[in-house]
Amino acid sequence: MQYAVETFSLTKIFSDWWGRAKVYAVDNLDLQVRPNEVFGLLGPNGSGKTTTLKMLLGLLHPTKGKALLLGGDGADPKINSRIGFLPEESYLYRYLSARETLDFYGRLFGLPAKVRKMRIEALLDMVGLKAVANRAVGTFSKGMARRIGLAQALINDPDLLILDEPTTGLDPIGTRQIKDLILRLAERGKTILLSSHLLADVEDVCDRIAILYGGRIQTQGRVKELLQQTNKRQITTDAISDSTVEKIRQLVAAEDGECVVTSPMDKLESFFIRTVAAAQQQAQSTSGAVSTTKIGDFLTRKEPMESILDKLVSAPVSQPEPEPAPTTEKVAAASGSESRPDESLLSKLTHSRPEPAARGQEAQTEPVKPSAAEHGQIKKNILDQLTGRSDAQDKDKKETGKSQAGDSGDA
Amino acid sequence: MHRIWAVATNTIKQALRMKIAVVFLIMLFVLLPALGISTTGDETLKGRLQTFVSYSLSLMSFLLCLLTIIVSVYSVTSDIDQRQIYTVITKPIRRFQFLMGKLLGVVVLDVILLSVFSAVIYAVTIYTPRFVKASEQELVEANNEFLTARAALTVPQVDVTAEVRARYEELRKLDQLPPDYTQEQVITELTKQAQLAKRAAGVGEVLSWEFDNVRPLAKSMFIRFKYDVFPNPPDSQVYGRWFAGDYQYIKYGQQPKTPIFDEVYKHAARTFNEVQFPAEVVPENGRLAIAFMNVPPNDTTVVFPPDGLEVLYKADSFAANFIRSVLLILFRLIFLACLGILASTFLSFPVAVLFCLVLFLTASFSGFVIESFDYLSQNIGMIYSYSLKWAIRLLPQFDQFNPTKFIVPARLLSWSVVVKCALFMVCIKAFLVFVLGLLIFSCKEIARITV
Repeated sequence: MQYAVETFSLTKIFSDWWGRAKVYAVDNLDLQVRPNEVFGLLGPNGSGKTTTLKMLLGLLHPTKGKALLLGGDGADPKINSRIGFLPEESYLYRYLSARETLDFYGRLFGLPAKVRKMRIEALLDMVGLKAVANRAVGTFSKGMARRIGLAQALINDPDLLILDEPTTGLDPIGTRQIKDLILRLAERGKTILLSSHLLADVEDVCDRIAILYGGRIQTQGRVKELLQQTNKRQITTDAISDSTVEKIRQLVAAEDGECVVTSPMDKLESFFIRTVAAAQQQAQSTSGAVSTTKIGDFLTRKEPMESILDKLVSAPVSQPEPEPAPTTEKVAAASGSESRPDESLLSKLTHSRPEPAARGQEAQTEPVKPSAAEHGQIKKNILDQLTGRSDAQDKDKKETGKSQAGDSGDA
Repeated sequence: MHRIWAVATNTIKQALRMKIAVVFLIMLFVLLPALGISTTGDETLKGRLQTFVSYSLSLMSFLLCLLTIIVSVYSVTSDIDQRQIYTVITKPIRRFQFLMGKLLGVVVLDVILLSVFSAVIYAVTIYTPRFVKASEQELVEANNEFLTARAALTVPQVDVTAEVRARYEELRKLDQLPPDYTQEQVITELTKQAQLAKRAAGVGEVLSWEFDNVRPLAKSMFIRFKYDVFPNPPDSQVYGRWFAGDYQYIKYGQQPKTPIFDEVYKHAARTFNEVQFPAEVVPENGRLAIAFMNVPPNDTTVVFPPDGLEVLYKADSFAANFIRSVLLILFRLIFLACLGILASTFLSFPVAVLFCLVLFLTASFSGFVIESFDYLSQNIGMIYSYSLKWAIRLLPQFDQFNPTKFIVPARLLSWSVVVKCALFMVCIKAFLVFVLGLLIFSCKEIARITV
């Protein structure tokens, strides 16, 4: 198999003026990112994440070793035309408007005018900046600039997307949208390599991660495998009656297990998103970015590749057809303002996509009803495919369901 | 090409929207008309036009040079400093294409600004005669001696070697050689004397010059000359009888087929004067003779200094000459754009601008600088003349291709000069500078080091 990104003992030493080695920014890095994988490069500040990405793209010359992107050199225009790159901050031409910015990048790819125009409108729509498309980028807030930065990385419909700390400077809604977008891009067959030190973000979207420290890989592997506590089981149920809980306790006790029963806590992220969504529904005006959940239709889908198959294999039971709908509703609720067209667009997407593990897990959480949420952790399991990652989404789901039911106060 | 053009248009937008160019635009739009109104020169129409064109062309050229340096340096260094280059260079564009785009953008901007301002200067020049109260004579003078492009026929130095040699032998035989002089010094002195004698005319004497291949386009031709006089007459005025026509007649007195020009004038000494004569005196074979007669009431010897006499004739229109001189400015700007891009590949904005300004000023005075090295070359200057002098020779000679040098005396700026300038300044020097910039930029690590 050809890796989307592969490095061979990639090393970057920053030397001082006399040529003496000062800092090993990246030290013998061997990295393999498979096609159609969301790969997270984690690490504290100064651990060499950004330096690695810059070396991949030819912005820095490696001291030793080499890197292959899509089987080629990262500085080769042929390879570049298949790559989208978002640097750690959105470095944009302040004097260009949002639309001109995208047009400029589109022209760098040599896209014909018609295609460019179509994609620019789709992308502006997608990142929610259509209303301010003619304003100079220099007047944008950091988050808005970030969105334009993301849009420029997508204008060529890249096969490989390299995102350096994609969520810095974004509000929680923006962060959420980027995460959703990353997942949906992965569904469409893109390979995504992202660096971050925001662990929650990485956990939500990445298939595999590598943790860097001092320029060396400390550990790498599948998020699921790294985080799954194989000595524990978790069951999530609707608000079942106390007697049923008692029965389960007995069952668990019979296996010499211990069992904790609690109601799951909501995540601050989803709470925040709900609050803002409520405000948006009351049509309070904002000069900032508008949240949408659209995705540019030009972002093509690739045939499912090996890692998609992996996901399918690891996915639980195949889900019934109507189930993706609540997912759509959830996202729509988070974004608020224009839910109708989004919903139809998204459901189209969700219907036609291959089913990766993450979605399947979300769907399974759906039956949880708002009134009596009870969460058990027992050894004997029926939902043994659940991973740590689905846990968070799990809770979201339930809470979103509640808010739609109109009694979010219960939480 | 699409990609280069994308970078180029972005550069132009940057220059215009970041208000760098706008400052220069406003300065020029205010200064040019102000110059047009305020310049008077020597109070004649011709003087007024000469002063205006010379000041406005120099001002425009200087401001556009500064603008070119600043824009070319800024557009590259700001991309690197503000890191927009991260997103640009990772797109399918090669580094040389990026720099070519920058260069193209600056050059296109220069072409636009240069055309606009040259048009303004040209229009002011052409329309000034209509709005200024000028006598008929002044108008004719301005048309003949300024709003035209005249080719010049110059007099070569007369070869006096044989003559000097003979004179030296004669002196030696007579044993009249000055005692303290070497042979070389004596010969130099004799040569000077002999050449002076060829250019000098005592009272009643005639000096004549011949010119080949004279093909005038207009009805009038001009003799441009300067008198030196020994001793100086009290009013510094010199009378001269000027002849122009078929050399057969002037030299051998043969009956001419074409008319002969013959007039007496009074002119001031030690300044350039012009005498106009009809072009019809030029014979069909194009061999023209000019003669000067030192006539009474002069009672001094008249000497023409070296380069003190030339025959001018209209060879092209003012407009064509003006366009060619604007081309010279454009070549200068192209060189500076390349220089700015080279500097910005390895220097930060302020240092790069300073670097370019120093080279620009050196290039503007290169003739003077090189000459001054020649004076030094006897002693310690040897070191300089073998190192710095060659470095300066590598720079383009802006002063050698200064357009006002041609436009003000209405001298023909021939295409050959323009092509020569294009060849040296653009095709060789600017190209080398740009290639050097490309090499540095290709090897450069674009990203800043952050750990």
